[in-house]
Amino acid sequence: MRPFLSQLENRRPDLPLLVTERGILKLSDLKPGPNKIMAQSGDVVSARVALSLHAPEALLAALAYLDGRAEAMLHISPTLPPKLVTGLVTAAGCNYLISDRDDLSGAAPLETLASLSLRPALRETEWIMTTSGTTGQPKMVRHCLSSLARTVTPMADLASRPVWGLTYEPTRFAGMQVLLQACLGEGVLVAPKLGSDIGAILNFFADHNCSHISATPTLWRRFLMHPNVARLALSQITLGGEIVGQALLNALVAQFPTARITHVYASTEAGVGFSVHDRREGFPESIVANPPKGVGIAIREGRLWLRPESTASEYLGEQRLPRASDGFIDTGDRVTWRDNRYIFLGRDTGTINIGGVKVNPEEIERVIATLDGVAMVSVTAKSSSLVGAMVTAQIVSSGPVVDESAFLARVFAYCRANLAREAVPATIRLVDRLVTNSAGKIQRN
Amino acid sequence: MEDAIREIFNGVWKERKGTKPPVLEADSLLLETGLDSLDFAIVVARLEERVGFDPFSIADDAYYPQTFGDFVAFYKKYSSM
Repeated sequence: MRPFLSQLENRRPDLPLLVTERGILKLSDLKPGPNKIMAQSGDVVSARVALSLHAPEALLAALAYLDGRAEAMLHISPTLPPKLVTGLVTAAGCNYLISDRDDLSGAAPLETLASLSLRPALRETEWIMTTSGTTGQPKMVRHCLSSLARTVTPMADLASRPVWGLTYEPTRFAGMQVLLQACLGEGVLVAPKLGSDIGAILNFFADHNCSHISATPTLWRRFLMHPNVARLALSQITLGGEIVGQALLNALVAQFPTARITHVYASTEAGVGFSVHDRREGFPESIVANPPKGVGIAIREGRLWLRPESTASEYLGEQRLPRASDGFIDTGDRVTWRDNRYIFLGRDTGTINIGGVKVNPEEIERVIATLDGVAMVSVTAKSSSLVGAMVTAQIVSSGPVVDESAFLARVFAYCRANLAREAVPATIRLVDRLVTNSAGKIQRN
Repeated sequence: MEDAIREIFNGVWKERKGTKPPVLEADSLLLETGLDSLDFAIVVARLEERVGFDPFSIADDAYYPQTFGDFVAFYKKYSSM
């Protein structure tokens, strides 16, 4: 596949490429760096470059310069703590760290790229994406532009120029998909300041005429809870990252009756998955029988298995994707057959998905159990119509509790001090005993 | 019902923010009160323990209230059923 910059050059140069709170960027605004460098001759450097950038325009400039020249790019969330960044940079064997953050020692600004004098690489540049999670080191998965851009719809197949609203960090798999679709599909990428309040984000999208938005179900529910949602005129709604329920699909149809609604199943690990457009939850058998090009889909042992193209993705380092001998990967997502559809039930591992953030109940139990006065604890998922799922906990105290509300307040405070925000239980109940199964294990359901 | 909602809202606010909760008016926008959707999901879960039902899960159609008044009315509608 041709490098990112060379594909961008298909675009009309006067068209806006990116809109941020700092203004509108065209392709020509990206060019001075890369062009100047191309004209230079100098030492050939083999570069593995880690990128941790807040500004989307900086990320685009880096992609345009590095793809096709660097051996690898490692995409790191600009919000990842410095210690974890260092770990990733080392594990991926990066020799450069480019960042606009001020909390990373050893990081160089974007302009440094101009002095590297990279020549076109012989092999396709690796795009190393990182998985999200609330605890520990993110996992790294190796992609390349062709595997990430496989789902990009060419402009020729669209009725009008898409204006994509960016709701994800572009360093994440879902955000990168939106960035590539907008840039390579001859669209426009509208990137509000992440972390702004919902009303401001909706206004930014409306002010810049966004026609296409991809977001998690939880974020779509938040949009629907804000009156500014009425300002949006959308022709494409994309949902992903969490289970999509029928109730939310119905509410989106009611708010945007003419929009095409797509729910995407994709995981960083498996590369790309598949999408469903019929406004119904789950997916039909026909997708399993006739999967998208280059993807294999199978239901085995009540779980969804995917087979990516052989070179599409691979964990880096010691981690290996659990892969069956026929190339299929167990996604760990449980499905059931209901009303002629496969419906998602949740994670096989017990992982709880709270608004797109995955937490592990055993880890929460381990933390709560370290608090003085807690004898036993059981953490389970509780379904939520607002954020998909939430954490609840039942606790057996190690001695008599005189003041129950003071005891619970102490547990909540301990959880808040020691757990990620999403992992703090929504409700905690003090119980006399936990139900155990015949093996003496705490019953989860 | 409205008192129970206010009390639980204030409790979640103090717990998550550690400051004095704002006074909610009928036209206060929920997502501009300072609590986000995760916080409201907690309010809904605790209200279920208090009042015994979750209107969001029993409603036939998905409903996403925008104001505090909408939210209270939604609970009142299902408490009288």
